[in-house]
Amino acid sequence: MRPWDHLTLMQFAWAFLAIIGFSLRSNLRGWRVFFTGLGGGISWAAYLIILYYTKSMLLSVFLSIILVCIYSEIVARLMDTPVSVFVICVIIPLVPGRSLYYTMRAYLGGNSLEASRHIFNTLMISGTIAIAIAIVASATNLVMRLKHRF
Amino acid sequence: MHKISLEECSKLALETGRIMLQSGASTNRVELMMHKVCSGFGYDTAESFVTPTGIFFSLEDGENRISTRIKRIENRRIDLGKISAVSRIVNCLQSPTCEKTIHGESRNASFLKELQNIDKGKPYQAWITNLAGGLTSGFFCLLFGGSWMEFYVAFAIGVLVSFGLKYINRLPVNNFLSSALASALIVILTKSIDYYVPYIRLDNIIIGGIMILVPGLSITNAIRDTMSGDLVSGTARAVEAFIITVGIVAGSGSMLKLWALWGH
Repeated sequence: MRPWDHLTLMQFAWAFLAIIGFSLRSNLRGWRVFFTGLGGGISWAAYLIILYYTKSMLLSVFLSIILVCIYSEIVARLMDTPVSVFVICVIIPLVPGRSLYYTMRAYLGGNSLEASRHIFNTLMISGTIAIAIAIVASATNLVMRLKHRF
Repeated sequence: MHKISLEECSKLALETGRIMLQSGASTNRVELMMHKVCSGFGYDTAESFVTPTGIFFSLEDGENRISTRIKRIENRRIDLGKISAVSRIVNCLQSPTCEKTIHGESRNASFLKELQNIDKGKPYQAWITNLAGGLTSGFFCLLFGGSWMEFYVAFAIGVLVSFGLKYINRLPVNNFLSSALASALIVILTKSIDYYVPYIRLDNIIIGGIMILVPGLSITNAIRDTMSGDLVSGTARAVEAFIITVGIVAGSGSMLKLWALWGH
């Protein structure tokens, strides 16, 4: 798949709509719904585009989560909302629900090699998401502290 | 400035903390907001220790009087709208220019009234949340490579599962069992629809349904709490995320296995 064609745009739209549904379910209102949806779309589209250029899944998860966390730090300050409200919604497309399901199915089928491959994938992706969120959160703390000092 | 009594102030702060923690805010956010409420009402020495299941809070005035309160938090449900609403009015408390009128002689009463309004505020109506569940599940199915036919099925399943989740959450069961029941419900519905609709692959549909239940909130809060130094609540949230995940896998896995054993 080419990174900049209509297929990526369609994937962006689907992630956008899915996250809008998610944020409605968690009772967000007004423009926040739109901005969480936009963040979800950005996270998935950035993942696909970076995946095309680097061919490395973990690196693309890492970079797109960092991108989207910076996005939510900025938007949350503009909309006077806690940052975690945005972060919770926008990381959802990259949370490894799919690998989890395949792990379970391979395990049920008695295929332990496949199951361990998938569970390794799941753990690595969740660890990468955790590291990326942690980096952005600590960096923002640092920046805010420096800004207050000077 | 008109000063309110120590007990009044600690009651207000505790109420703020309770609403935020029950809607799923991260603990350092809750502590920050409670301190802001206290300093907004003129008490600067406040100590708080917040865990995901309880608040310990102690407020001191300059004359060695201390008011300490403990609040146990039960029945949490995710409500990001309430978190942002409470943050907004607490930030209002400190800024003089604000559209909400939390000023004047009885500003504690009006603040309490705002809080109660937020707490009582209705979530969206049931049909909107159900349709939103359908939206999430259907478009995640498309995202992971489903066809349009599978999208319609996943949409229907999302609506039905959101409908069922409302009743599952009313049962007096823990996190593990409720997510296991919900994911078992997804598998049952998918397998039953499979009888009537030809040419669909079940994998994408079940994944779309599972994405509704994924513990994104617990993961995010676990990391952000740990990074801000709240190791106790960070660990607790991480365990919660793990338990929910295991619940999802156990529920859908055992239901798939049972269905296979039944012989269809």
